[in-house]
Amino acid sequence: MNISSFPGYHGKILQIDLSKANISEKPLMPGVAEEYLGGRGMATRLFFDEIDPICDPLEADNVIVIATSPLIGTHAPTACRGHMVFKSPLTGIIGSPNCGGSWAHAFKSSGYDVLVIKGKSSEPVMIDISPEQVKIIPQAKLWGLDAHETTDRLTADPEKGKEYRILCIGPAGENLVRFSSVMNDKNRAYGRGGPGAVFGSKKLKAIRVSGRRKIFVKDEERYKSGLDQSQYLMRSAPITKRLMRELGTLGLIKLIDIIEMLPHRNFQDNLHRDDDLDKISGETLRKTILEKASACYGCSIACQRRTNVGGKKGEGPEYETVVMTGPNCGIYDLNAIARAHYRCNELGLDTISFGGTLACAMELSEKGYIPKKDWGQMNLSFGNGDILEKMVDLITARKGLGDILAEGSYRLAEHFQHPEYSMSIKKMEIPAYDPRASFTQALGYMTSPTGACHLRGGYAVSLAFFGGTKEIPRFSLLQSPIAIRNMQNLGIIQDSLGICRFTGFAFSTEPWARMASGITGRNFSTARMEEIANRIASLERIFNIKTGIGADEDTLPMRFQQESIIVGEKETRIPEETIVKMRKDYYQARGWDEQGVPRNLQ
Amino acid sequence: MKDKHWKANEALIHLFQTVGRASLLYDIQDSHCGNMVMRWIDERGKERMAITATGSQKGDLEPEHICFPSLKETDFGYYKASSESDIHAKILALEGVNASMHCHTKDLIIDTLDDEKKPSRPEPFYPTDPLGYYHLGGIIPVDWFALPSGSPQMVKVIPDRLSRHPVTLVQAHGAFSKGRTLTEAFFLQCVANNSGYIVRMMKKLDVDVEDLRGKIKSDPHAQFSYPLHEYRIEDDEACQFPKEEELVKEFYKTGARIFESRLSAFHTGSVSIRGVNTMFYAPNASMPREIGGPLLEISLSPENDDTKELEIHKFIYKETNFQAICHCWVPEAEAHAKFRYPGESKALERIIPIDAEGSYLYLVIPVLPPVHDIETFLQLLHDYKVVVVQGGGVWGVGSQSLSEVLHHPSSVREICLYRIGAYERGLDLRKMEPKKAHNW
Repeated sequence: MNISSFPGYHGKILQIDLSKANISEKPLMPGVAEEYLGGRGMATRLFFDEIDPICDPLEADNVIVIATSPLIGTHAPTACRGHMVFKSPLTGIIGSPNCGGSWAHAFKSSGYDVLVIKGKSSEPVMIDISPEQVKIIPQAKLWGLDAHETTDRLTADPEKGKEYRILCIGPAGENLVRFSSVMNDKNRAYGRGGPGAVFGSKKLKAIRVSGRRKIFVKDEERYKSGLDQSQYLMRSAPITKRLMRELGTLGLIKLIDIIEMLPHRNFQDNLHRDDDLDKISGETLRKTILEKASACYGCSIACQRRTNVGGKKGEGPEYETVVMTGPNCGIYDLNAIARAHYRCNELGLDTISFGGTLACAMELSEKGYIPKKDWGQMNLSFGNGDILEKMVDLITARKGLGDILAEGSYRLAEHFQHPEYSMSIKKMEIPAYDPRASFTQALGYMTSPTGACHLRGGYAVSLAFFGGTKEIPRFSLLQSPIAIRNMQNLGIIQDSLGICRFTGFAFSTEPWARMASGITGRNFSTARMEEIANRIASLERIFNIKTGIGADEDTLPMRFQQESIIVGEKETRIPEETIVKMRKDYYQARGWDEQGVPRNLQ
Repeated sequence: MKDKHWKANEALIHLFQTVGRASLLYDIQDSHCGNMVMRWIDERGKERMAITATGSQKGDLEPEHICFPSLKETDFGYYKASSESDIHAKILALEGVNASMHCHTKDLIIDTLDDEKKPSRPEPFYPTDPLGYYHLGGIIPVDWFALPSGSPQMVKVIPDRLSRHPVTLVQAHGAFSKGRTLTEAFFLQCVANNSGYIVRMMKKLDVDVEDLRGKIKSDPHAQFSYPLHEYRIEDDEACQFPKEEELVKEFYKTGARIFESRLSAFHTGSVSIRGVNTMFYAPNASMPREIGGPLLEISLSPENDDTKELEIHKFIYKETNFQAICHCWVPEAEAHAKFRYPGESKALERIIPIDAEGSYLYLVIPVLPPVHDIETFLQLLHDYKVVVVQGGGVWGVGSQSLSEVLHHPSSVREICLYRIGAYERGLDLRKMEPKKAHNW
């Protein structure tokens, strides 16, 4: 395939086998692009074709695929996001994070659509990719450096005319922390599921990219009509034109509290004092530590926060980080949370799993299941913000109790013989929305292909707080299965187009369909994109089934089944019969059998 | 029990009150005009009519405003009852008729006014919309009376007209309708006025109404999407999914908005939301808050007795991932769909909003001819989420909620209203439409 045969793609897959130090290229078959579009879809297909599903995620057999989309390299808004797929060391099933920043755009500009990494190096290496050459370079000197230092080293003294972009791990990945992330532009993360540990296990410290290869657009008029639509709508919608720029994602704190979904103390309840929330709100961040708003490549939304705490500069913290390391740990200290967040970015830790695992440790400690002798110098009580930053270091270094926390909340709780205190699904920590306050969100967590993830599982909660006309009943058994399937499909389409979730608050798939069709000259209608989304969802499911999981794992922790919270003055929980009913209906909505096995794709 | 102890049961009072309020909301009465009538059996088993008192406020009826005169003789009940009681008594004598209603159907009245020298025989009114064509039999007789209120001539003529038509119009006064129930009589009044309104809108847009009427007469199936089933007498309080409290509330809320905002005439249109095996379906989407309409749980599989409307819901769900559907007979859209730009002969293919909100929401709204292939219809729903069908109403779909699909007909109505208003003022719509919209 070449540019003229399928515009929007370079038509090339770059394959690197670290065991053999072998670099090769192969053509991207048009059928893969036609049937899986790009990003998440294309990465999943190529991963599925390369991986042994029962491999050890931290051994050479694991495969990492990073894919771009046909929109990347154009002016399509927010089209900068890469998608990474691997077998997760945290969950044992598919890992599938998505990331903004500038790396994916730069990678595509090097002339490739997809990067496939196999094998395992015997020594620390980096991969250097440019249109002229691809190299595997030993980098023992970088091993041990944090993500910021690594990025600085690798971008210093660029060759003339070159601009480097860096994807790298910090010490957490090197030490195989099961929820370590891969960092991009220092502070953007392929966060969930432990991709950092997979890089670390392969002794892959960094991937540096550069290039200026352009994308050819087949049908400019069609592409521009979609582009015009999208820009027009993004300039109009409050969330995309203003709110995220002014308050960032942390502006959601009070909204989520109002709809009674904000977790507290390892999801024990959803009760917070208003003045406590004032201390950590987006409005407070703006007044106290914000330096300026910034954005990913090609994005006008500008949700990023450049912040400064006591002279230390960083980015964030975001909503998920603040809630999971804050109220979910009983902590309402924005400075402490921000410092811990900076440290997570430097060392390469997923902040959601970090917060969820720490909250689990706090509850186990308070209940006496972690003996005080194991606490070391730490007071593992809910509300103790002083330990946040230190715990990031201990987990990264796998020191003392940190070594067990580095395994994630499920293995931690299992280690202390009380797995019921891990608020996780398929061993991945639940993000910052209590599932008891929305059947749809609960079902999204249950059926997310990656474990409890609000993005891969369908960001249904957004429909409850700024869904606008799409607001849905939160406790409808009839509506939830289709509602979450549709939200998941929208997410799959967005991930496969390399665009940001937040665009969905301005418009749905129609402008993207025009842009994708215009760029490629192929018919990527909205109906076709839904077909593609269904295909990708089924493929992810098949992979997971091949790893050994089944319908029983599509469930919620016992806390959500047995312990009620108050929502709208009513006690609510999600009993087993509701879980079984929603799960069964969801499978049917997907066209899967009663055990959740896809019928239409093998 | 003495006759003076007139006492309507609570159900009857409630029905009169709710239909009365609905008729005011739909603006087919003034504060004190019109009347509602039902056949009534008193405590001694004697057949009477229950009729609103003369001059009573139909939007605020009290129990004492309902009178029960004899159907067969003049009794004291006629002192207080409507001045048109004699007409209604004769209407109730028609076979199968249990109720009747008289309303000041303003749009229909306005469209049938003339300045001919009287006495004269006005032309009948021929609806140009599918609701009017199918539910009213394609014609509303119009009569001029020297004394157009409660006169002996009216007593003679109106029941005769209603023996052959569901609705008849007294020129410059209002419509009389018959029904198996009071809600059916009200339904017919709303449909009749809706037809008058559509013709008025078409005339504002310089649509050649007479030419259209000719085409409808010669081949109605070429002008309307599909034949409509007759109005069904159903239990308006029936709800087959009471445990889904949030959804029940959503359905009633949606139905009330459709009715109050005149997105579809009373008990017309349909809305649904789907599950994996069944769908929740309101076959009479336009539901005043107090009257409601049946809420049904229906299999997603096709059934032999499915109406065409229900067939379309099921077909959309079968072929797509959409979760909610709303179909409304938006009168402004019905009229606008027949519009031709001055100097252009081409049928309208898209409605381009000229207002800010409309442009933001839709950019363009596709228009399909009455007869079209279903694949095109689905494709347009995928791409635009809302489609106006000439002679077929407004279809809107959504991936999530009833609220989402309700927004479609509501916005389309406004978009059409602004365009019609601008055209009426002599403004050039082509100049007002965003240029980019022609590629959207």
